[in-house]
Amino acid sequence: MSFLRGAAARVIGLFVGDWLQSAVVVVIIAVGWFAVSRLGAPALVVLVLLLAGQLVWFARAEAMRSATPSPRQSPS
Amino acid sequence: MGQQLFIFGAAFLGSAVESTEALTIVLAVGLTRGWREPLLGTLVAIVSLGVLVILFGQLIVTTVPESALKLLVGTLLLLFGLRWLHKAVLRSAGVVAMHDEDRAYQQTVNQLGETVARRDWVGFVLALKGVFLEGLEVVFIVIAVGGTGHGFPAAIAGGLVAAAVVGATGLVVRKPLARVPENTLKYAVGILLTSLGTFWAAEGMGASWPLDFISILGLAAVFFIASRLAVTLIRRPAIA
Repeated sequence: MSFLRGAAARVIGLFVGDWLQSAVVVVIIAVGWFAVSRLGAPALVVLVLLLAGQLVWFARAEAMRSATPSPRQSPS
Repeated sequence: MGQQLFIFGAAFLGSAVESTEALTIVLAVGLTRGWREPLLGTLVAIVSLGVLVILFGQLIVTTVPESALKLLVGTLLLLFGLRWLHKAVLRSAGVVAMHDEDRAYQQTVNQLGETVARRDWVGFVLALKGVFLEGLEVVFIVIAVGGTGHGFPAAIAGGLVAAAVVGATGLVVRKPLARVPENTLKYAVGILLTSLGTFWAAEGMGASWPLDFISILGLAAVFFIASRLAVTLIRRPAIA
């Protein structure tokens, strides 16, 4: 049973590390789908830039989160 | 031809990374408990993974309409690739520690030391579990990369050749492949899969890319620049 749970968690973990980031990517794709059908190529450029931008944004957000000192850390 | 080579390369690199991690587990189990059960566990895992590729690969390719398949698989590939790329950026910037095969090997050996009094099937189960779970990522890469681009044989060949090369190297050196630049490989594969995912997702939306498949190189350049920008913004002294 724990093996199956581990496998299921692994499959979800393939695509989702941070739920918020995954949701943002799906929203970008959904909006892109809508925009590409109406605007064509210019929408593609915006789609790619948004995907690249979220990569920078979420990497920076995680770095800032992990930089917050933990209460257990020794001052030295 | 170029597209098939690209699919082979993406499947090969992605599978090589995961095969290295699976090999570390099998070596740790084999060298501490003997080889029979771990090799049997590895064989069962590889056969199960092969069945998954054939079943799901054929099912997906033959039953889902092409545009829906491209949009769905492209989005999943994008999420998968971005996850690898995100992790690679954090590792390159020194925010999280680099993956270390020697340490992973030692952890598995220590775990085995604690269970040494149990029966020998522990070796079988550990190898089966390790190879199967690491192999799930290989299965996804092969199905996603091969199924959408009509390059199933090239993707399967890439996955198999990677597993064979890593397995043979492990057999010769009989220790964890710590010199494989796993973090760099994951960075490159993350960019490759993110670019492929974006390309296919957009094609699934009905868009047509200028220069067709060559556009993937442009997408890779954009994601590489974005990732380097992220590394520059968050860089810290490396964690050991």
